Amino acid sequence: MRVRLRFFAALRERLGPGGVRTLPAGASVDTLWHALVAERPELARLRVRFAVNEAYVEPSHRLAEDDEVAVFPPVSGGGRR
Amino acid sequence: MIRLTRTPIAVDALLRAVRDPAAGGIVVFLGTTRNVNEGRHVVRLEYEAFARMAVKEMRALAIAARRRWALRRVALVHRTGVVPVGVASVGIAVSAAHRAEAFAACRWLIDRLKTIVPIWKREHFRGGRVWIGMQQGARPARRAR
Repeated sequence: MRVRLRFFAALRERLGPGGVRTLPAGASVDTLWHALVAERPELARLRVRFAVNEAYVEPSHRLAEDDEVAVFPPVSGGGRR
Repeated sequence: MIRLTRTPIAVDALLRAVRDPAAGGIVVFLGTTRNVNEGRHVVRLEYEAFARMAVKEMRALAIAARRRWALRRVALVHRTGVVPVGVASVGIAVSAAHRAEAFAACRWLIDRLKTIVPIWKREHFRGGRVWIGMQQGARPARRAR
């Protein structure tokens, strides 16, 4: 199956804006991330979050044909109050 | 009014967006770009958003706040692109019949917004630039509370 990838912020700078990627049917977000890390081992050190079709998902989320998968760093705030 | 903008946040527009004859108070929060962060002298900030998802998440936050407190109206605006030091990068306005609800909701909205709305900040400082939240080996980002 094919999914559409989008990267943001520091991930976009390293990997580009994204593109189409082919995965085995029924692959999870985690499968996808491991494939990306296998190609770019330095990614393993990054903390990332995932969204599918503009909604946050866990890495175990199963992907479907033509899903839009966004991979990005934790959002910018999160710091002191 | 829930939106992203590349131009300065107009406080009067925020106020207009939440004005309501049934409101007894309006609370406004402006998050402004600070000139020093973790010892670095910041010269400007740059915000990147996953725009469609960011607006969706902001709408969901406004709905959640209205479920949680008795509010009249809610406005959320976040800037994207380059923002100079000392100006607002995020603006929140909440009107409610009573001030306690407006203060509580506004506080909750900014805390939630900063942990879940997909907008990232890159700090430009003297001698470099860095994506906030991505520093490898730095302390982990704090979790939403």
